[in-house]
Amino acid sequence: MAESFYLFSNGELQRKDNVLRITASDGRYKDIKVEMTQDIYLFGEVDLNTKCLNYAGQLSIPIHIFNYYGSYTGSFYPKEKNVSGKLLIEQVNHYTDKYKRLEIAKAFIEAASYNILRNLRYYSERGRDLQACMTEIKGLRKVIPRTEDINELMGIEGCIRQAYYNSWKDIINQEVDFEKRVKRPPDNMINALISFVNSLIYATCLTEIYKTQLHPTVSYLHSAGERRFSLCLDISEIFKPLIGDRLIFSMLNKNMLTEKDFESQSNFCYLKDNGRKRLLQKYDEDLKRTIRHKVLNKNVSYRYLIRLECYKLIKHLMSDKKYEGFTIWW
Amino acid sequence: MYIILVYDIEMDEGGAKASRRVFKTCKKYLTHIQKSVFEGDITPSLLQKLRIELDKFIRKDRDSVLVFKSREERWLQKEFWGKEDDKTSNFF
Repeated sequence: MAESFYLFSNGELQRKDNVLRITASDGRYKDIKVEMTQDIYLFGEVDLNTKCLNYAGQLSIPIHIFNYYGSYTGSFYPKEKNVSGKLLIEQVNHYTDKYKRLEIAKAFIEAASYNILRNLRYYSERGRDLQACMTEIKGLRKVIPRTEDINELMGIEGCIRQAYYNSWKDIINQEVDFEKRVKRPPDNMINALISFVNSLIYATCLTEIYKTQLHPTVSYLHSAGERRFSLCLDISEIFKPLIGDRLIFSMLNKNMLTEKDFESQSNFCYLKDNGRKRLLQKYDEDLKRTIRHKVLNKNVSYRYLIRLECYKLIKHLMSDKKYEGFTIWW
Repeated sequence: MYIILVYDIEMDEGGAKASRRVFKTCKKYLTHIQKSVFEGDITPSLLQKLRIELDKFIRKDRDSVLVFKSREERWLQKEFWGKEDDKTSNFF
């Protein structure tokens, strides 16, 4: 119901008439209906002042900021409204206890790898030869319950991803030279897409976590490092195959994005503005798409699935119900 | 639900004030698409909140606010006659 706003224009974001108004340098403007907004994504060069941030903070609207190359730089994260000391203590307890932490981390990987397999199955049913890759991942999945520490688990996750990424050239119809995952900076079309889409999912997870009582810095699979909201990384792991990868496959297979939408030089590759816009439009539509939830017995959007994941995690932390990661059931 | 809100404010003494306030209030909840026309997706509770806010400004004997409700955007056929513009888009 509430909407996300994606601002590409360069200009000024300010408080005006009790709404947030973005004014482009050529004088065009757009008013953002604040009561109906859940988050704002800034892609252009935007000037804003504390008055505007204060207002966004008052209305609890997180503002996610992306740099010129489309990579995520950070968020304006309004003061936590939904705080719960009790939950925070439990969150930390589950982090410091090695077994409890591993249990949750395993659930994340199990769900993520299951969703990866579902993606592969979808394409193998459509005539792609992915059997070898699927067997490899199935084999790796069997090891997950036996892992004894986080590093081992992360290693298996890495192997699964590698096998998965290797199969991408068979899934994608377009001619791509995707050898391996390269970040900072991405070196080809697919890597650029993965980086961009992942950072979007990351920001969306942060918006959803904000709506719950969870603390975004305490995570389980990734080490709770400093300077970043690592819980988003954990949760986004589950949704990358469902939302991100599927988005990339369909954009490329339907030729909605081609070589022309990228700007590449010898050592980097980035999405151009127009391509970025098209991708975001699709991303926004995908998040709004609804499915019938089996347990809740009502229609829920993909975005809401992310929030449900947070609620499930809370239940686990409060020892109410054991956490099981979200798996695609349709 | 998806609504279209239209208002008509009598332009007598105090009309300008009422119209200004109604405009600013509607802008917080809906997208301004034409002079006194707003549209957008809204929840019943927020619509109620909007109504309470507006009630303070409109003069019951002179001004009127009309709301057309539709269950969802897709049940509303929208046509542009003349210039087309996508003011309701989330992209800018």
